[in-house]
Amino acid sequence: MSLVYWGTVKQPALIQSVFSSLSRTFLRRKSLGSREEFKTAFERFKSVLDSNNRALEVITDIGEKLGGDYLFDIVYLKKAYARLKEDITFSIKTFDELTQNRYQRLHEVFGYLDSLVTRMVDEAPPPPPPVVLSFENIPWGTPHDVGGKNARLAEVKNHVGLNVPDGFAFTTSAFDMFIRFNNLESTIERIKKTTTADDAALQELQEFILHGSFPPELSGVIQEELDRIKSHHGECFLAIRSSAEEEDGGRSFAGQFKTILNVPLSRELVERAYRKVIASLFSSKAVSYQLQTGYDIGSFKMAVGCLVMVDAASSGVVYSTMPEGDNGTLIINAAWGLGETIVEGKTETDLSVVRKGKEPVLLRTTVGNKNTMIVNNGKGETIEVSTPEDLRKKPCLSPEQATALAAQAIAIERYFGSPQDIEWAMDKNGALFILQARPLEVDVKSGEPESVMAAESVSDSAHPTIVRDQGIVVQRGAAAGKVFVATKPSESIHLPKGAVLVAKHDSSLFVRIMPYVSAIITETGSQTSHMATLCRELKIPTIVNVPNVTETLKHGQDITLVAGDENKMSIYRGIIRDVLMKSGQDMNRMEDIYEFRKKRYILRYLSPLNLIDPLMDEFTPERCRTMHDILRFLHEKAVAELVESARGGSAKLKRGGSVTRLDLPVPAGILVMDMGGGLESGGQNGAATFDRIASIPFRAIVGGMIHPGAWHSDAVALKTRDFLSSMMRMPDITNATDSTAGYNVAIISREYVNMSIRFGYHFNMVDCYCSETAKNNHIYFRFAGGATDLTKRSRRLELIARVLTAYGFNIKIKGDLLIARLAGINQTDMEKVLDQTGRLIAFARQLDAVLHDDIAVERYANNFLEGIYEI
Amino acid sequence: MDKFRIMVIDDEKIVGDMAKMSLEQEGYEVETFLNAEPALARLKEQKFNVVVTDYKMKGIDGMEVLRTVKKDYPGTTVIMITAFANLDAAIEALRGDVHDFFPKPVKIKELKESIRRALNQT
Repeated sequence: MSLVYWGTVKQPALIQSVFSSLSRTFLRRKSLGSREEFKTAFERFKSVLDSNNRALEVITDIGEKLGGDYLFDIVYLKKAYARLKEDITFSIKTFDELTQNRYQRLHEVFGYLDSLVTRMVDEAPPPPPPVVLSFENIPWGTPHDVGGKNARLAEVKNHVGLNVPDGFAFTTSAFDMFIRFNNLESTIERIKKTTTADDAALQELQEFILHGSFPPELSGVIQEELDRIKSHHGECFLAIRSSAEEEDGGRSFAGQFKTILNVPLSRELVERAYRKVIASLFSSKAVSYQLQTGYDIGSFKMAVGCLVMVDAASSGVVYSTMPEGDNGTLIINAAWGLGETIVEGKTETDLSVVRKGKEPVLLRTTVGNKNTMIVNNGKGETIEVSTPEDLRKKPCLSPEQATALAAQAIAIERYFGSPQDIEWAMDKNGALFILQARPLEVDVKSGEPESVMAAESVSDSAHPTIVRDQGIVVQRGAAAGKVFVATKPSESIHLPKGAVLVAKHDSSLFVRIMPYVSAIITETGSQTSHMATLCRELKIPTIVNVPNVTETLKHGQDITLVAGDENKMSIYRGIIRDVLMKSGQDMNRMEDIYEFRKKRYILRYLSPLNLIDPLMDEFTPERCRTMHDILRFLHEKAVAELVESARGGSAKLKRGGSVTRLDLPVPAGILVMDMGGGLESGGQNGAATFDRIASIPFRAIVGGMIHPGAWHSDAVALKTRDFLSSMMRMPDITNATDSTAGYNVAIISREYVNMSIRFGYHFNMVDCYCSETAKNNHIYFRFAGGATDLTKRSRRLELIARVLTAYGFNIKIKGDLLIARLAGINQTDMEKVLDQTGRLIAFARQLDAVLHDDIAVERYANNFLEGIYEI
Repeated sequence: MDKFRIMVIDDEKIVGDMAKMSLEQEGYEVETFLNAEPALARLKEQKFNVVVTDYKMKGIDGMEVLRTVKKDYPGTTVIMITAFANLDAAIEALRGDVHDFFPKPVKIKELKESIRRALNQT
């Protein structure tokens, strides 16, 4: 037996009645009330976008002026930052009004970021930090106080939430205090004036430091820290490591300074180790390096980290992304005992390759023959011993331990936004510790050519020009590599290192592959998009708005790209090494200037984007690390707030108000509330035809809904089981939209629509802002529920997800609910996408009833994408 | 032939450092000064083809540098750069026969072109 199911309009009376009463009982939501209130919310929303855009333009300008092509001074920076601060402050104020002060944490984050930037812009010495800080008390963004190494480790502990050894940091204040106490300023002053490393003077200074006395105040604090550590861990040993101050974020100083291991919990011995570490700042090797890299000798300070040594059963290194080869994998190096064997390359080690993902998968482990290992002999000495026979060929990590470690490495990479080189240790109880995390250098070939004209001469018969002078150059430069065409942003994750990414739209999701990409070319995009800001920051040659480039360039093809001033650009077939070599010579010469690096360091708190995916949990004020993050957060949450307001507004409609019924060729039953410019005047009272819709996004959606064939008015056979299932289930009130049972509602303006519709048992909501300014535009789409059993309903979600993904949406599915979003695309493309979205809304109405198997999902999805709407 | 000599005077180190780096790439000999006194003293012992000077500086300012150079070293071209872009300053500088006047931030490429033009003139 089969019953006939008529969709919205003619539901069986019983269900209708049950549903209405449920709606009345459960679906009452917070209502924003009047049309005026919604209008205010809408104005505030637009105001947030406006001030955000002004702020982004300032960030773009600062990025450009500090990019090495301009002579700039502090006056410029002060003025520009003042403007930026004003715009963001205004944006936050309006945002607070819009959200009724629901995101107060944002103020703290903004205030803190502002304090970091202001002290760099004002060049005012910051208030000195305490001489010693335990790791849990080290705030983020303090590499100038605790040094880069300590700062990163503290973030791993406090913000990524991973296990790091207990310990404390000597800040640069401790360094200053020690130098002053021993009257070493004048000695340092003398060295400061030399332009080459004067070995004798440096030797003398180091001797003074090694024999210097400790300020009693500093000794007192050290004793307190040691007592605290002793009370937690008993007798143990410390690793005392240099953590050079980072004022410019520029240089690695890898291996330049001393590290002292196995220091017992004795104040005298800790002090002795501290002296050795800070003295190494003035070794002739380290000083030569500082001179080469433009540092001011003597202004540069040393912070130091003291960490409890892990009694390691095994230890090693993780590269959170394979330095060569597949980006989707990471590698783990492991050895028995302490990690030195790996660093020194003394013995064979285990090498595991893990596929990255939500649940990392161990692909393979090559077990090394580990003949020797380094252990602590219990007296504060590390000794090399032969590995017990039974351990030599045994993997150090079980598969579970390896994937657990991989998950931590992925979290660290995600937090810092770039591939990481991570030192780890596992103690004898199997507890994992992160000992260090630093950026992993990934070699990608691109650079900045002096001029495109110079490169033009290289075009020859072997390397013909494929594209010339099209699009907008976002970041100048030259690059060569294989073309990787990503038809949707999520595919970019498979990009091989050094490839040129070619995509339809620009997307901030590309952040994740930016460390590996040699250049980016897109068909649409703008100069002030999130992606563009990041490409400039990272100096990735980037061109947007190149028509049909995803078709002109073939996946896998070798190309050379040169992008110059005034939107001059060329793409040549093949790899032209001369272009790259020329550009390599000119590249980043400014980076050798310390003052330049130091000023550019300000950008670190302005431009990078850490809040990438609004559908992820980490999209919170607490995770904002830059002004760009704050702007992104404001934008996304303003959209969410508008959606909420619109929902409140549509609830209000039921109780009357100024609404117009839409008279369409399909029985969609839509009521329209026009906030201004959404409907053309005229026509009869109460009803408006399609022709009267002036709202850009609404017209596009409705146009899609009434597209011939997309709306099925035929009855679809509903099986008994589905019918019973529909009777048994209550609507999901947590995800349900509004209480407009029987009506579908659209709130519109010329550039906006929020449409909440219910067809039978599923709810569909589209919120869209569609204007001439691409970066303001968004589509937010929700779909929930259905009348059939769960399997068919989830097949329908799968189908919708497939179709929307093909149009570039970012999707999240949570049980019965699908959320999709797409942002930052231009009006023309947006109208096309909305038209398809409208067709999908119509098409998906009764679809679940026919999705009998997974193959059907694929078939109907493919059909839909080809414009075939038969059910 | 000897290299052309360029002098850069600006009280902010970064301006001199960046100018030196980019102009040396063009093959010029570049000397930088953080204030005008030692710069003018240096001019007494060494001929420079172009002087790039900041407008507003403590002590001797850019206008005074311009006047001194025009009076004592007529073969030397002066290019003025300033953070305080205002019309009066520009007019004053132009009256003093400055070769070019740039508000900061100055596009290095434009500065290079201006210097190239100045060197062709002399």
